[in-house]
Amino acid sequence: MLGDIITPDLFASAFRMATPLALAAIGGTICERSGVVNIALEGIMLTGAFFGTAAVLATGSPWFGVLMAMVAGVVISAIHAFASVNLKADQVVSGTAINLLALGVTGFLMERWYGHPGTTDPIKTLGPILRLTAEGGGFLGEVWRWVNGIFLTHTPIVYITVLIAIFAQWAIYNTRWGLRLRAMGEHPRAVDTVGVNVYRGRWVAVLMSGALAGLAGANLTIEQVGSFTENMTNGRGFIALAANIFGRWTALGSYGASLLFGLADGLQIKLQILRDVIRIPPQFFLMLPYVLTVVVLAGVIGRAVAPAAVGEPYEKKG
Amino acid sequence: MPVLELREITKVFPGVIANERVSLELEKGEIVALLGENGAGKTTLMNVVYGLLSADGGEILMDGEPAKIKSPRQAIDHGIGMVHQHFMLVEPLTVTENIVLGREPGRLGVIDFKIARERVIEISQRYGLKIDPDARIEDLSVGMQQRVEILKALFQGARVLILDEPTAVLTPQEVRELFGVVRSLVDEGLSVVFITHKLEEVMAVADRIVVMRDGRVVGETRPEDTDEIGLARMMVGRDVVLRVEKPVSTCGDTVLEVSDLHADDERGLEAVKGVSFSVCGGEVVAVAGVSGNGQTELVDCIVGLRRPTGGTMHLKGKDITHASARSSIEAGVSHIPEDRHRRGLVLEFDLAENLILGDHRTPPYSTRGLLHPKAVTTMARKRIDDYDVRTPSEKVIASNLSGGNQQKLVVAREIGRDPELLVAAQPTRGLDVGAIEFVHRQILDERAEGKAVLLVSLELEEVLSLADRILVMYEGRIVREFTADEADEETLGYYMTGGGGVKLDDDARQAGPIESGGDA
Amino acid sequence: MSDSREGLPAQRRWMTVLQKVGTPLVSAALAVLVGSIIIWASGYDAGAAFAALFKGSLGGPKQIGDTILRAIPLIFTGLAVGYGFRAGLFNIGAEGQLFLGGLAAAWLGVVLAGLPWIIVVPIMIIASALAGAAWAFIPAILKARIGAHEVITTMMFTYIGRYLVSWLVIGPLKAPGQIPQTVAIPPEAQLPRIQELFSAGTLEALPFLQLGRAHLGIVVAVLMAVLVWVILKYTTLGYENRAVGFNPWASETAGISVQWTTVKALCISGALAGLAGSVEVMGVHHRLFDQFSSGFGFTGIAVALLAKNHPIGVIPAALLFGALSAGAGTMQFEADVPQKIILIIQALVIFFVAAEEIVLWFVRRRQKEAMSHAG
Repeated sequence: MLGDIITPDLFASAFRMATPLALAAIGGTICERSGVVNIALEGIMLTGAFFGTAAVLATGSPWFGVLMAMVAGVVISAIHAFASVNLKADQVVSGTAINLLALGVTGFLMERWYGHPGTTDPIKTLGPILRLTAEGGGFLGEVWRWVNGIFLTHTPIVYITVLIAIFAQWAIYNTRWGLRLRAMGEHPRAVDTVGVNVYRGRWVAVLMSGALAGLAGANLTIEQVGSFTENMTNGRGFIALAANIFGRWTALGSYGASLLFGLADGLQIKLQILRDVIRIPPQFFLMLPYVLTVVVLAGVIGRAVAPAAVGEPYEKKG
Repeated sequence: MPVLELREITKVFPGVIANERVSLELEKGEIVALLGENGAGKTTLMNVVYGLLSADGGEILMDGEPAKIKSPRQAIDHGIGMVHQHFMLVEPLTVTENIVLGREPGRLGVIDFKIARERVIEISQRYGLKIDPDARIEDLSVGMQQRVEILKALFQGARVLILDEPTAVLTPQEVRELFGVVRSLVDEGLSVVFITHKLEEVMAVADRIVVMRDGRVVGETRPEDTDEIGLARMMVGRDVVLRVEKPVSTCGDTVLEVSDLHADDERGLEAVKGVSFSVCGGEVVAVAGVSGNGQTELVDCIVGLRRPTGGTMHLKGKDITHASARSSIEAGVSHIPEDRHRRGLVLEFDLAENLILGDHRTPPYSTRGLLHPKAVTTMARKRIDDYDVRTPSEKVIASNLSGGNQQKLVVAREIGRDPELLVAAQPTRGLDVGAIEFVHRQILDERAEGKAVLLVSLELEEVLSLADRILVMYEGRIVREFTADEADEETLGYYMTGGGGVKLDDDARQAGPIESGGDA
Repeated sequence: MSDSREGLPAQRRWMTVLQKVGTPLVSAALAVLVGSIIIWASGYDAGAAFAALFKGSLGGPKQIGDTILRAIPLIFTGLAVGYGFRAGLFNIGAEGQLFLGGLAAAWLGVVLAGLPWIIVVPIMIIASALAGAAWAFIPAILKARIGAHEVITTMMFTYIGRYLVSWLVIGPLKAPGQIPQTVAIPPEAQLPRIQELFSAGTLEALPFLQLGRAHLGIVVAVLMAVLVWVILKYTTLGYENRAVGFNPWASETAGISVQWTTVKALCISGALAGLAGSVEVMGVHHRLFDQFSSGFGFTGIAVALLAKNHPIGVIPAALLFGALSAGAGTMQFEADVPQKIILIIQALVIFFVAAEEIVLWFVRRRQKEAMSHAG
């Protein structure tokens, strides 16, 4: 029975499931490092998912859909940036407004454009880049079957996400942008007094998180599901936030934490298949990612330190 | 030609004129002291120069040319650097990262940390400001952090350096070291504006003194043409009582007995390492020390905000070692906290609500969980009268009061409660002369009523003028105890820094008995 | 507290009131304005849409009853979220606590069948409050002990709670038949409709009492709002709650246990949300099923913010959202505008209340006008 669960497939699905979480979590990392809390990741992801799907439905081009998902993510996150940075609104409340707005706008437009609530027509999706055959016998054949199964069967955004995680990690610690980003989340006035524009820096960070969360939405619809369903993000934005915290506000940490959640998700799906054998209602498997999130948060918080100025609007004097 | 010239700078905040037609000239290689009380408009003026605030009138000239300074960036580009009173350092970052922030060397947006580090070392050697370029700011002492700030300004190419109250957090020895640094900077061709409200510093370091009051320049002089009393009069606008007169202490029963107290700080490091002392009724005992030597943790233990890891504390014989903040208040301990905005007041509450904070659970203000608004109002009005809190009504929101009135409110609550022991931590920090005099009088009134007072202060003048006994705290221990007449600033400073760690330099200046009332 | 010593000038006091009430009013107005621009820009007839919205929410006693019906749970969730905010806590998971409250009521209503309503109804109400509080308890403890952000934890508990209920109505608590729902609670466990309290003759004579489906829960809701107001203003519990919400450090210094206050606040908030679930079960559906709440917990956030977390202010704010939701159906039916527009308007309300700067600009202008009229 264990052999039915522990398969290359399980780990492959961990990477797949981790991808939208990781993209949003890295977005959260960048945003919070600049000093802006972003609980709007959920709504931004949903917006990206919807407009990505709509773009594919309109043009038939999945890559155009990916682009539009990111653009939509940037546009809706601009509202959050404006509220948090310029209007000095409570960032958590502004994020909540955006989550609701995304739910409303996607549902509204769904009915306006497609004439019905629920789920859109299926769209053309992005398939795996490589389609290698897993043949061969013996030990080497087995190894190849695993390597191929786990790492080489994925769609483009899954790989792009790994690259983004590595690049973001490097950039945060080695570039001008990264140093200023880290500084403005800790002590924005110090950054201001050396002549760096905090407002602009935070705007850029929020928009970047919007692009990443939008891309996460594109991954959900254009690579994984193949259609848009209302409220399909189902709390992933919040889990991504937890992954960012668990990853201690670093890009690679966020990715690693997302992998953990992805694995739990993959396991959950695997176990559902076996529900006749172990007789646990499927709802309990569906709860698993959410329970895991709470457990992870409970275990990690005391030791993870958030950027000092996160959530505080920065006010220039006079 | 002056390197920096301000012409009739005016800055208005809603309801206040912070700067009114202020003019100022700074020559190359000159140290100008900008002297004035808290709220005189010194920092506002310099924030205008540094581009943090925009002036409502007047102009700034650099080397005789009008300079448009609308942002710190432009100020830096004009060669102006500023060391702020609250350091503008990012704690988790390294010294190098902080210094190069905003002007990072490198190509295509990638920082070349090797070059950055070399430049930091180069500048630090050139000006004789030794520093570890790889240390994290949070691990440095306050004096070292200030050094990083100066290096940061130099790295950015400052020709004019503005130091805003640079000595507020330093020991006398560190202050002298800073003066040496300032002198050498000037020798290298820099010009310095030195903002302070401490008269003896002005006399020691300035080439020229510009005195501000109520947003205006009220006088200009040179150290050799004046003395501290003259300066004080110019600064405050009237004669100042420089010493608090107090009758001889009559020590009653022991009120607070602390023995072999140990406590950890937030990071779990031992901060209080076996402290023993007692305070009796009718006595003011002061704890002197450089910030961060365990005073905060000691106070936290006594008022029940921190659990000691060892030792005992007794209040009038009652064991309060493990008392919570609540039972400590109920046992008769009052606390004027160090950080009054954070710990002293709920700024969003009205004055009446603030005045019952801590007493809100006890009659007559509440019984069985129900508040009694009438009793609260009656008490609030009485306290506001008794303690001279300037406000139209007890329903005013606390954040609308001035800093001095807010502190009066805290004092009204804590002393009005009629405690056995008053713990006052930095009770006059940031207050103007009038408010300082008021707080001092209240503390001495408590003493006269036979109450015990434990005063923790970084201001040695305050310690010397109020205390009957002085405990010097260093690295979590009480290293020396003095009676009031045994101690002077130099000796206290000597023991505060580890007694022998720093060589006394007696000819630096005379430690006279006359001290300013400005920050006593 | 009685009048101030010197007394604010009457005009200034009026200004303060205007500022307090004005900002939410302008926020709501702006939200509706932007909402109608969206309707219009999407190619619908905005005029017809609002006419339908008005007709469906205030067009007659039955419609007004519908507005009240939908406002009832929103008063509870608005109070819940608002009480949390007053302690500096954002209970974004009121929806989950509402589900648990509904579960408690639906289960007990059936279990206690046969007992008189005077016993059953109070037990159900109290039990649903306890269930809501219990659902907030773990996030509360995690917040108090280790600072785990309640926005994430209460949200996670919402999903967990929904799956729990979803399992129960399909499995152990499922009523016989095809539909996944629980057995209906007996009449003595229900909250009666208002119009059922009057004789046919009275209703004939006073047609405005024909409030359709509006039920007695409105009375419970209003009483609860008053109770919460009294707690916040006149008890040490409320005083400490507010103190911790504004400044936990000063509260700690004054001997208030911040941790304990946090736990109490989040659990009371959860209890209020749980009550929303019970009134929905007892007054409307009389049973539990998967979709028995249409996001009342989330709308409660908008209600609380619009009310500026004032318990009495929650009542008109809930009525506003109740009216929007009651009219939305008519709007969709008659003007073809998707009901989802209501979500957008809710979001805009939250946004405008949060981004007060925009709104204050309008209010200040109005104040200036008022001043010039007064002067």
